[in-house]
Amino acid sequence: MNLLEIDHLTCAFGKLVVTDNLSLSIGEGERHVIIGPNGAGKTSLINQIGGQLKPSAGRILLHGRDVTGQSPSRISRLGVARTFQRNNLFQNLSVAENLQLALTVRFGNPLDFFSVAARDQALAARVRQLLQLVHLDGWDGRIVRTLSYGEQRQLEVAVALASEPKLLLLDEPTSGMSPTETARMIELIAALPRTLSVLMIEHDMTVVFSIADRITVLYYGQILASGLPDDIRADPRVREVYLGMVH
Amino acid sequence: MELLVAQLLNGLVYGVLLFLMAAGLSLIFGLMNVVSLAHGSFFMLGAFVGLSIFHLTGSFWLALLLSPLPVVAIGVVMEVLFLRPLYARGHMDQVLLTFGFTFIFYDLVQTVWGKVVLTLPTPEALQSTLHIGVGVFSAYRLFLIGFGFAVALLLWLLLERSRIGAMVRAGVDNAEMAAGLGGNIPALFTGVFGFGVALAALGGIAAGPVLGLYPGMDTDILIPAFIVTVIGGMGSLRGAFVGSLLIGIADTFGKAYFQSIALFLIYLAMTLVLLIRPQGLFGVKFSDVSPPSAVTRTESASTRVTFIAGLVALVALVLLPFVLPEYQRALIAEIFIFAIFAMSLDLILGFTGLMSLGHAAFFGLGAYTVAVLGAQFGLNAWLGLGAGVLFAAGGAALIGFFCVRTGGTSFLMLTLAFSQLVFSVALKWRDVTGGSDGMALAEQPGFLGLSLSNSLVMYFMTLLFFVAAYLALRRLINAPLGRAFVGIRENEARMAAIGYPTRTYKLIAFIVAGAFAGLAGGLYVIYNGFISSDAVYWTASGDILIMTMLGGAGTLIGPPIGAAVFLLLKNVVSSYSDHWLSIIGAAFVFCVLFIPGGIWGAVQKLRWQGSAP
Repeated sequence: MNLLEIDHLTCAFGKLVVTDNLSLSIGEGERHVIIGPNGAGKTSLINQIGGQLKPSAGRILLHGRDVTGQSPSRISRLGVARTFQRNNLFQNLSVAENLQLALTVRFGNPLDFFSVAARDQALAARVRQLLQLVHLDGWDGRIVRTLSYGEQRQLEVAVALASEPKLLLLDEPTSGMSPTETARMIELIAALPRTLSVLMIEHDMTVVFSIADRITVLYYGQILASGLPDDIRADPRVREVYLGMVH
Repeated sequence: MELLVAQLLNGLVYGVLLFLMAAGLSLIFGLMNVVSLAHGSFFMLGAFVGLSIFHLTGSFWLALLLSPLPVVAIGVVMEVLFLRPLYARGHMDQVLLTFGFTFIFYDLVQTVWGKVVLTLPTPEALQSTLHIGVGVFSAYRLFLIGFGFAVALLLWLLLERSRIGAMVRAGVDNAEMAAGLGGNIPALFTGVFGFGVALAALGGIAAGPVLGLYPGMDTDILIPAFIVTVIGGMGSLRGAFVGSLLIGIADTFGKAYFQSIALFLIYLAMTLVLLIRPQGLFGVKFSDVSPPSAVTRTESASTRVTFIAGLVALVALVLLPFVLPEYQRALIAEIFIFAIFAMSLDLILGFTGLMSLGHAAFFGLGAYTVAVLGAQFGLNAWLGLGAGVLFAAGGAALIGFFCVRTGGTSFLMLTLAFSQLVFSVALKWRDVTGGSDGMALAEQPGFLGLSLSNSLVMYFMTLLFFVAAYLALRRLINAPLGRAFVGIRENEARMAAIGYPTRTYKLIAFIVAGAFAGLAGGLYVIYNGFISSDAVYWTASGDILIMTMLGGAGTLIGPPIGAAVFLLLKNVVSSYSDHWLSIIGAAFVFCVLFIPGGIWGAVQKLRWQGSAP
């Protein structure tokens, strides 16, 4: 069974159709990259899977289970984690606290009103592990807003990974990053365990082709092409509407 | 049949007046994202200024024509001088600012025109009655209905057909885009704000002959106007129109046919709409949810220094009563009670980021539970206190259930509306609550075998509860649940994305805050021996809000400091000035403009700067 099954999904705001009768499936452990020009409906698709946006029609199945239109918190608890196109962290809290919040709701007792969160040693150990994973070791105490943009991007991924999701949705993880930071991010994503599926939006073609098992090209809310990287590269329609445009 | 038609007309009259309010509120909100809490004040000012013009000239029509002018001038000055500098900050700061002004305007009206109900006679030309079909109708009321419909039509034409209307509509649809249009925006904002004020003032003077004029008419019209905008949908003129007529008619029929539950009818309508369509019948957009910027976000971690400082403060508080005269001990005992109240508000305001304008409701629930159970069943006040806490928590659960379904601005309006409902019950259920005359506590309880009439015992009793409440809340804030509240304040969407059902957490925060407010209310009755409906009026919610913000929201130290400063100041000032309300209002405005982090926030800032190399 596929991990994620998107079945004739449609989302419209009045006359503007951002997702147009779209069907797509992601297998266990797959790295699937979505590309497409601006306004193709990439983020809208991610938002519908994450529950931030309600589809108008169609279904989204997770492990065969219908999750269409469920709340973001519910979908998150079903094993879907995500990052956002623009950094979406707890800017005024420390790096450790950002991760603690994500860890507690999944593995701890978020309704606990008596123990001191900051003194939870097991939690602190897990925080250090995650920070190591995204190359932010030793930054626990820093307030997030004092981090550079690229560092915040790395933390975004760590927060998403904290819940040990089965499906990770990454919305342009390398946008706004320096080449060095981008390289590090690719390395990080590539090293993720294959027990985890990744659905990722990306603009940088080097990143796309170095990570993707499969690629889907979106164009005005519809799938223009979907398949193996080599097929996509060779597809004349893709070259015309997309690759041709960005050179 | 005749009665039915007459009621329908009365309902339309009320609806039309509501529309004049709601249309302005909705336009201002749609364009500027600001709910003007001073809008009721402009309605009231319009009425009173109109009355004075009438007394000077003897002409109702001149009064109707001229009274909006000075009121608009006041409104425009307020917008330009006070609101405009805050556009860069969160919209909540602007809302708070308008709240501060309601105190000042209320005091102004009380001072200039007195506290009694005044009447504005119906204009002579319209004193007659008309025979139409089934009955006899007051010409003035018919005129009002026609007037209201004409204004609605004019507004619609202005919005739909004129260039300015197009700009306003563009702004309502997309404020950022409108802002991108550049230079004209401040002028447009001021224009729309002034226009809204004019509609409110016009409504006030037109309502004069029907509703009477009195200080307090501001909230009496503001609350139903809020309910109208919640039902109709914020930012929608059509919603304001339909909602106004709906509420006007429903309320009038309710008062005529179901007197005992009339009060609840419009709230019932509102809660139904909220359950089915949280954005309102014609809602075009959701209000933003940014918490007030006036929240201190740098919390000092628990260190040895803070522990020692806390211990020193505690020792000082224990020794203090022995050097104070009796009267001042009592004053500090009151401060302890209000410190608990302020900390409870801070749990939702400062830590969860929810701006409540109706927190006095839960204080009142706790207080009345103790007093009423004592009076009716002879229940011991300590047992009553337990019941009061539970009752306040239950009330918070019920009210919170509806409030947390909406965000930001609607939350604020709903908390205010529900608290006024609690106030109305306290006021009108005279047999049980004593209404505005209040009720006394049947029997003062003892405390650990000691008499609370001894000021020293009272002092230590309240101190004990204050310290316990402080420690409990501190523990909560640092526990996972408290951290989740802070996470919601910081970024609710992200909290949802990592798996927190944020609505449930907000409700929990609301209930806990309600319980602690109930505790404060129950203690207050034991302390004061008396409670009246004034304790649940919106000004009481305003008082506690200013205490919390003055001291510093988002910290647990701030609210007690704010409560102390506020009550000490009030004690000194009210002995030689009658304008305490204006002083609160001005303090409010000053606080929002200049010390958004409150006193404790400013202290922490200094400490931070001091410790930086």
